[in-house]
Amino acid sequence: MKLNYLFPNKYKKVGWLILIPSVITLILEFEPNSLDFNVPAIFIDELFGDKHFFGIVKNNILNEILGALILLSSLLVAFSKEESEDEYISKIRLESLVWAVYFNYAVLLISFLFIFDFAFLWVMLFNMFTILLFFIIRFNWQIYKLKKFAHYEK
Amino acid sequence: MKNSIKVERAKKNITQADLAILAKVSRQTINAMELGKYVPSTVLSLRLAQIFEVEVSQIFALEESDWD
Repeated sequence: MKLNYLFPNKYKKVGWLILIPSVITLILEFEPNSLDFNVPAIFIDELFGDKHFFGIVKNNILNEILGALILLSSLLVAFSKEESEDEYISKIRLESLVWAVYFNYAVLLISFLFIFDFAFLWVMLFNMFTILLFFIIRFNWQIYKLKKFAHYEK
Repeated sequence: MKNSIKVERAKKNITQADLAILAKVSRQTINAMELGKYVPSTVLSLRLAQIFEVEVSQIFALEESDWD
């Protein structure tokens, strides 16, 4: 009954505070040379070379850091409890999650059929984050509507 | 499902906000139940019955559409 896999309410704010600057930095697309490192890799597919498992590659690690921060912080934003998380909020949460999954795959299906070659790389890139993004937008919109339009009655 | 939460609330002379505190849910949840937009869990139904000091079946009633 009490088990719900959610983070405490205060982590929602923490999530937003990490998510917004991370997204802005990612959009600015700068790669400072000071962050070029040789890093271990699980799978390597060189542009004009072999494919092989395990090795070392030279890579700018800024987008890895930002990607990880965006992933973790959007999980916090999505799955931290509301201030008054009760069973009705849980129902809205579940419905929003189902809606987000459907919507995400609808967008992906359309992209599959009408976006080709290298352009599809962008689709895959965005699709890593969109399921959570769609959920966050939908769920918060529903909660906003609920708070705004639940008229007060004596 | 029909419910008489609003009527019971009037009898007790308490607001939606008061009832929300007593039942440990948000005011929006009380509002949604009164409007028939949300069917509460068994636990919340029992809490409401205890708050109003009546039987659960005195607050909630099945409708024809609940059998679909």
